[in-house]
This record gives sequence, structure tokens and C-alpha cells, in this order.
Amino acid sequence: MDPKWNEDQPIYRQLRDRVITMILEDILGDGDALPSVRNVAAEYRLNPLTVLKGYQELVDEGLVEKKRGRGMFVTDGARKRLMKDERQKFVDVEWPKIVETIERLGLSAEELLAASESANKPEKNDD
Amino acid sequence: MTSLVTARNVSKHFGSTRAVDDVSFSIEKGRILGLIGPNGAGKTTLLKALLGLTDCDGDLSVLGLDPFKQRKQLMQNICFIADVAVLPRWIRVSQLLDYVESVHPNFSRKRAEDLLSRTKVQKNKKVRELSKGMVTQLHLSIIAAIDAKLLVLDEPTLGLDIIFRKEFYSNLLADYFDEERTILVTTHQVEEIENILTDVMFIVDGKIMLDAPMDTISENYVELLASAANAEKARNYKPIHERDVFGKKVMLFEGTDRSLLAELGELHTPSIADLFVAKVKGASA
Repeated sequence: MDPKWNEDQPIYRQLRDRVITMILEDILGDGDALPSVRNVAAEYRLNPLTVLKGYQELVDEGLVEKKRGRGMFVTDGARKRLMKDERQKFVDVEWPKIVETIERLGLSAEELLAASESANKPEKNDD
Repeated sequence: MTSLVTARNVSKHFGSTRAVDDVSFSIEKGRILGLIGPNGAGKTTLLKALLGLTDCDGDLSVLGLDPFKQRKQLMQNICFIADVAVLPRWIRVSQLLDYVESVHPNFSRKRAEDLLSRTKVQKNKKVRELSKGMVTQLHLSIIAAIDAKLLVLDEPTLGLDIIFRKEFYSNLLADYFDEERTILVTTHQVEEIENILTDVMFIVDGKIMLDAPMDTISENYVELLASAANAEKARNYKPIHERDVFGKKVMLFEGTDRSLLAELGELHTPSIADLFVAKVKGASA
């Protein structure tokens, strides 16, 4: 699999974002090992320093920890912390935009709840 | 940092032609340097000089040795894959391993066999019976089994299909490269290697047009996608190159502050291929 890198951000940054997405989606859980620098470099044909730089960002943010001689691991509570940040970001950034649209369209809370209920019905939600 | 290669005012003339024209540069340990240039730019001549296959003017030191005068010593710590398949076609894979084992003190036969066992190359086959891709795998397996400090690759993936080309670089990073080793690679397929490189060097008409670490490219060069209306304004900042894309102008700037250009359009870091075209065309204009 070949990932597409965009030109707007340095690759190490995009690599960091990918790991964060994997933690948020619970593909990487607390305490899980990150793939080795060498493997990532070989698989994506990146310079190992680029991979290391991406990992280092995660270490600096406290989401990943280095264990001597054993590699990089997801820090305990990393997902929880990221979720908290993501929720806050949604409330601060996304939600006001949505509220604005709702007000502009004159939708009521009842209408929206009904709509989201019928949207949820077809698939069984295990929550 | 320790320089593995140092060149000071190196030149090589063929009659009145200056194949390499007064170049100076150095390569540090643990780097992957891409040497990019059009055909006839002097890439191969420069590599030959580094490998001691040709003499040259100026000061050239590779691993602290004079490559031309101390070639035998140098060869113990250098590996080279040339752009043409140099393995004799009549030799069997097993004979080739025997041969390298007998001539090269730093060759690990076991490692070469381990690496080969992951490919479809069979030891009883002759080189002539292998596909082009397999010959490259064979070549790389031998090279990765030599404990060398410097690996020189001259168009290593020429003539290979895309799958083998990708695999070549993946294997190179997985099996060969580490911080103790240094790679010098030339290729026409720049986009294939640009993410692997730590440094890039452009050579045109025997001269070095650019010699920079990859992570400084985004600091020093920026590409602006400007509407025709903004293009005139942008020209005040003296782009080194411009081209048309879908009715817009793509302009490449050297050393111009991104914040000055931000209001004129979208900004990107140029690809090495685009930067190369800009540098070469900009110089001849």
C-alpha cells in the first residue's frame, strides 16, 4: 500500500497525523508498539530520519514513549487524552459552524433529533 | 560530523570538454545523497573519479583515501552498482557467491544467501537465465552482504518495472541502510527517491547547481500557484522559473519569504523534479 503524501505539510508531520488517527480509531491501543522506524522507512520508501522525526513529535507530545532497545509504544491514556482534545476541538471549532447553519435553515431540535434517529435505525448500534 | 567524501576543486577534462568542472562538496556519514543531472552532465565521470576508476585534477578524498592511487584499499569499503548489468552472463549464482567470497574480505556469504532465499533467484541458475529484475535482486543481495561504508548506485533501477523499482528501494532501506552507512545514488526517476534522500545535488554541464540537505528545500524554495491577475505582482519578487498550469501561473522562488507571497495564491514546497527543471532552465535563460 502506498500512501499519498500531500505537498502542504512535511511528510514527518503527515506521518505523525497518521499515527494519531490510528490511536483515535483504536487501531493502536494503549501500550501497543509502533512499527519500527526501519519497517516504516522501507515500506513507504522514506528516509529513516523522516520517520524518526515524526515519531519524535509524538514523544514530545507525550503520546508515545521510547523504551530503550525495544522501540516506541503508545503511552497509557493517549487515546483518552486525544479524544478529550478532539471533543473540545469539535465543540470549539466545528459546532459553532453547525449551529450557524441550523439557525440559518431554521431547523428545530425535534426535527434534528428525529432525523438522527431515523438515520441511526437501519444499522444496529452496539453502543 | 565526519566527512566520508571531500572534493575540492575537482575537474576532469576530456580534450577540451570539461566533464567535471571545478566542483567542491562533501558527504557526511549516514546520509543518502541523490546526484541528479541530465545525460552527459558529468554524473558518471564524477562517480568514476570517486571510485578511483579515473584520475582527476584537484583534491579528492574518499574514506580518507586517494581513490585513484589507493583504489585497492578503498574497494574494501565501497560497493558499486553500475547502470549496466556487469555480472557475466555465463556465471552461476553459486559461482558468483564463491567468487565474491574469495575476493572480498568483508563479504558475508551467509547473509547473501539469507537475502537471496527471500527472492525467486535460485542458486543453480546462470545469470543469463534470470530476468532483469532478478539480476538486480542478486546484485543487491551481494552488495547488502558486504559490510561497506559507502554504497554508490548509478541508475540502479534503470530498465526495471515499477514493482521491482519500488522493491529495490524498500530492500535497500530494510536490509542495507543504517546510520553507519552512506549511499550516493544517481537516477532519472527523481520522484521515486526524493523521500529517501537526506541531501540532493544537481549537476549540469559538469558544475554543481545545487547542493543542499532535503529539509532546507522547503525553507529556501517555494512554489506559488497564482492567478494571471496576481502573476504580475508576484514577478516583482523575481521567480527563478514560471510555467502555466490550467490557465494559472506556477512560479518558483528562491530565498523569498513565504509570508510575502501568501496573499498572492496557494503555496507549496516544490518537488525535486520541478526544482531541477527550474534551476536548469533558469540557468540557461
